[in-house]
Amino acid sequence: MTEPNLPGSPEVPEAPAGPYVYDYSASPQRQIVMPKTVPLPSLKTYLAEQEAAAVADEAKWQKMLADFEIAKVKAEAEGKDAPKPPVRPVPRKDDNDMKTPWPQEANDADLHRLQERLGDKVEEIFEQAGELTCQVSKDAILEALQLCRDDAALNYEMLADETATHYPVATNFTFSVVYHLTSISRRKRLRLRILIPEGFSPESACAVYPGANWMEREVYDMLGIRFVNHPDMTRILCPEDWEGYPLRKDYPVVGWGQRDIAFREDRGGMIERIALQKAGQLGINHKQPKAE
Amino acid sequence: MFKNEEMEINLGPQHPSTHGVLRVKLRLDGETITHCRPVIGYLHRGVEKICENQTFFQGQVWTDRMDYCSAVANNLGWAEANEKLFGITVPRRAQYIRTLLNEFNRLASHLIWLATHALDIGAMTVFLYAFREREDILDMNEAFCGSRLTTTAFRIGGLREDLPPGFEKLVKKFLAKFPTCIEEYENLLSENRIWKKRTIGVAKLSAEDAIAMGVTGPVLRAAGVPYDIRKAFPYAAYAEMDFEVPTRTEADTYARYLVRMAEMRQSARIIQQCMDGMPEGPVMAKLPKIMRAEVNEVYHATEAPKGEIGYYLVGEKGSGNPYRFHVRAPGFINLQSLPKMAEGGLIADIVAAIGTLDIVLGEIDR
Repeated sequence: MTEPNLPGSPEVPEAPAGPYVYDYSASPQRQIVMPKTVPLPSLKTYLAEQEAAAVADEAKWQKMLADFEIAKVKAEAEGKDAPKPPVRPVPRKDDNDMKTPWPQEANDADLHRLQERLGDKVEEIFEQAGELTCQVSKDAILEALQLCRDDAALNYEMLADETATHYPVATNFTFSVVYHLTSISRRKRLRLRILIPEGFSPESACAVYPGANWMEREVYDMLGIRFVNHPDMTRILCPEDWEGYPLRKDYPVVGWGQRDIAFREDRGGMIERIALQKAGQLGINHKQPKAE
Repeated sequence: MFKNEEMEINLGPQHPSTHGVLRVKLRLDGETITHCRPVIGYLHRGVEKICENQTFFQGQVWTDRMDYCSAVANNLGWAEANEKLFGITVPRRAQYIRTLLNEFNRLASHLIWLATHALDIGAMTVFLYAFREREDILDMNEAFCGSRLTTTAFRIGGLREDLPPGFEKLVKKFLAKFPTCIEEYENLLSENRIWKKRTIGVAKLSAEDAIAMGVTGPVLRAAGVPYDIRKAFPYAAYAEMDFEVPTRTEADTYARYLVRMAEMRQSARIIQQCMDGMPEGPVMAKLPKIMRAEVNEVYHATEAPKGEIGYYLVGEKGSGNPYRFHVRAPGFINLQSLPKMAEGGLIADIVAAIGTLDIVLGEIDR
């Protein structure tokens, strides 16, 4: 460790004059990398993608055939050997123990039961990786939860987990909120999902499952979704005065500078001196420097 | 104090009985608790955010540091969630070794619970005995993966290494003496008059309340609900194991103690079966060099020593990072029921209530 420079010695660089604004974009850790896609698992999207891929594949094959015909005519005209006929490419088979689970048609009786009882409030049902997913309309979530718990054929007694995901790129919604239900007596799991736009407040699940209390507080704390009729809608992990919602995709990993003092870049004492300067300007007895 | 006046006090965040940085706001009427509100978040590190910005593989070291008393159980849930996301089949030998290490970890976690819980209530002797056996388990962790507490034991698709030579001998030695060790702890506590007075009828939580609050693990089983994910949704090699799910109906602190002691015996049984039926073969699945996810979401829950630990992962097409990484921490959900347990009881009993929930703040705050 080197000796710190004493104030007043000639090596100490001058503190920048005027209000110093930290350049948050300077460090790569502060960069916000926004997602480019909307990874929302869905059978409809998957089928549409498959169809588009099949069409593109067919078009590519037709083009290869057409090119071959042209090349053949050209070769005949020039009196050269005929080119090789094209071979349709087959998808490569990987020799490994990985088999990607794709979304499948819903076969489970529970999903059909939900669709039958809720009618057109169910937006989508499908299965993927052995898990049942039922997407309901955002206004019908409480009704769906109530049905799942009280219906004798469903009987999902416990809410295992509730969380949300931020999809900033999606056009018609911003968050997906997922509820993972467990039926202890029937040994089954079910996922309910709603898609909500920014600013929409879904109905709280606390009326049906009291255990949702802290889970919804966490969702509010981390993603900023407020739930209606929640008994205690306050932050839970972050302090009450925290700015921003950390699990949103537009929040940088290192935060917005709330805890910048101890950072490596600031070891030169730059921030400290600025804080001292500020404290002097404001007339505060400065002990713990605070970042801007 | 003045008559008819309620007093507010803070338990924690720095208090030996809160097992970390838990703060409980209490309102007291004399010695009776009328209102209880747990305040958490002092150990929040943003594990979910960090894991979303790292690759699938790098997430494991963070799961170690959530519930640092049961790192192997956290690793197992994490590895299986990722395998479900990618659709990987794990070799049978790897499943057995995972089960084996997971049960050892359950023993270690229950031992540390027993030691600290008894210490909180005032039974000091058992602390030293429990830590003696825990040391052997940590030695086995060290023999397998080189570290004792934050193990990073598994890999996506299996294990990095097979069991080290001589591991069987260690296990055999441990299993030979462990039943007598459990008897030792029980001799110290089960019929101890003070222990019984401080635990029987204390911090009750009925089965209906526990299910409504989402409480899992030994706390739920002590209320008479035989819900164990190892049986209900078998994972790893648990489908091939023969073991019982101990339950009690009293739903108090003493019942939870008995359930956990019975669970330790079952764990020893599972370890024995793992060693007897250990299949031969590879310990790592064949995987492509670069793993890219497809659009998929999985919720995979496993039975950690404290209850149901669930990982919710969302995969993005072509990405090496999870789009969303969420942990359903058993302690977080179980701690919600603390007001229900403590309100109406005595202030001295809240120490028993916190201890019986077996909380670790590292996973509650994440």
